[in-house]
Amino acid sequence: MAYIVFDDDRIDIEPGQTVLSALLDQGHYIPHSCRSGICQTCLMQATDGEVPAAAQAGLKNTLVSQGYFLACCCKPETPLHVITAPDKNIRHAVNVISHDLLNAHVLRLRLERPDNFDYHPGQFLTVWKEDTVGRSYSLASVPGIDNYLELHIRRMPNGKVSNWLHDDIDVDDVLHVQAATGNCFYTPDAPEQKMILAGTGTGLSPIIGIVRDALQQQHRGEIHLVHGAMKTDDLYLHQTLQDLDQRHNQFFYHTNVLHADEDHPLYDAMSLDQKLLHIGEDLTDCRIFLCGDPNLVNSLKKTMFMAGASMKNIYADPFIAAYD
Amino acid sequence: MSSLYERIGGQGAVDAAVDIFYRKVLADERISDYFDGVDMEEQINKQKGFLTMAFGGPNEYTGKSMRDGHAHLVERGLNDSHVDAVIENLGATLQELGVAAADIQEVADIANSVRDDVLSR
Repeated sequence: MAYIVFDDDRIDIEPGQTVLSALLDQGHYIPHSCRSGICQTCLMQATDGEVPAAAQAGLKNTLVSQGYFLACCCKPETPLHVITAPDKNIRHAVNVISHDLLNAHVLRLRLERPDNFDYHPGQFLTVWKEDTVGRSYSLASVPGIDNYLELHIRRMPNGKVSNWLHDDIDVDDVLHVQAATGNCFYTPDAPEQKMILAGTGTGLSPIIGIVRDALQQQHRGEIHLVHGAMKTDDLYLHQTLQDLDQRHNQFFYHTNVLHADEDHPLYDAMSLDQKLLHIGEDLTDCRIFLCGDPNLVNSLKKTMFMAGASMKNIYADPFIAAYD
Repeated sequence: MSSLYERIGGQGAVDAAVDIFYRKVLADERISDYFDGVDMEEQINKQKGFLTMAFGGPNEYTGKSMRDGHAHLVERGLNDSHVDAVIENLGATLQELGVAAADIQEVADIANSVRDDVLSR
């Protein structure tokens, strides 16, 4: 008989029974609603074993690749280890390897990568200043290329963590970070697909990670990265991206500076949404990543969808500012 | 004889229809205001649920969930004309996907059957 392991309990599954009903029968509380695979309230994650395909129908492929499934549609035939949510509570103490500025406001922080610290470039991790004050930053580094974790940290006005990281933290200091999470990353299931990635400000951090990851995984379709900035001074890693553009035929680096003089080489008459539509042409089978300012990300998401992009191909990571 | 849901194409048809349908709804000035500020991904999941129901597929929609889900919109003035617009967009979506006229009518009838619940009547 098939069984699941949940919270160290082994629970037998009757043939045809779902993981959700087995857990509820045993008195475990699992949030759920429609019980027909639509609302996605009962999303769980498998840590070991084989998830039946029917339990992952309709999920974004970044969720599928992390073993997420819908408990209400999951009728396992073999043993399966499941958890309600990724274990986000483990904090790692890591050394600061390097601490330098990418422009006047953006700090590049490289941290030692702890053993067994798995992540996808573009996911974010949380850096804790004290037990209760943490901020999330996206990963620009790529496992397999970089042996460190790289974060880009913009100094926020009155930011409790960003100012501390800029001013009080230096090489060899120890920081506490929490496991990486988030669904905005590359999966190698459509290597010919055109990709468009737009980031504003430090929204460049996840998308540069995603681009390097895609290139490392031999993505063959065109990859367009657009860095949106208020002023030319706000751009960063400009030379690195130009070099990357030179080295890879399928990669194209674009900038979109909102306020630049008309005679400046980086002057751009197009707004960011116009630029993305211009690059995209046909968005029907285009994979789109949008990271950075939340209002802009949400409005670009709608623009791209209305212009023909499929919602399942749009990965958005709005950087929501903390208020505490 | 196969069911309406099977004839239309089941889950695959829901997936194919949902982007087209939601795009039409957002572009329709008669109803687009009601979708301002909603989370688009959450909304897509809800639309899938609605389409599955309207296509005669397996669903757990109840009169109560329809009422609860739309009560705040009825307060903002949701009425028959808006339901008509949604059903019209649904028909146009299915037409675009090459669904037979008789089946489109059947879908419209199912959608119409929840009208009173949607409008809290």
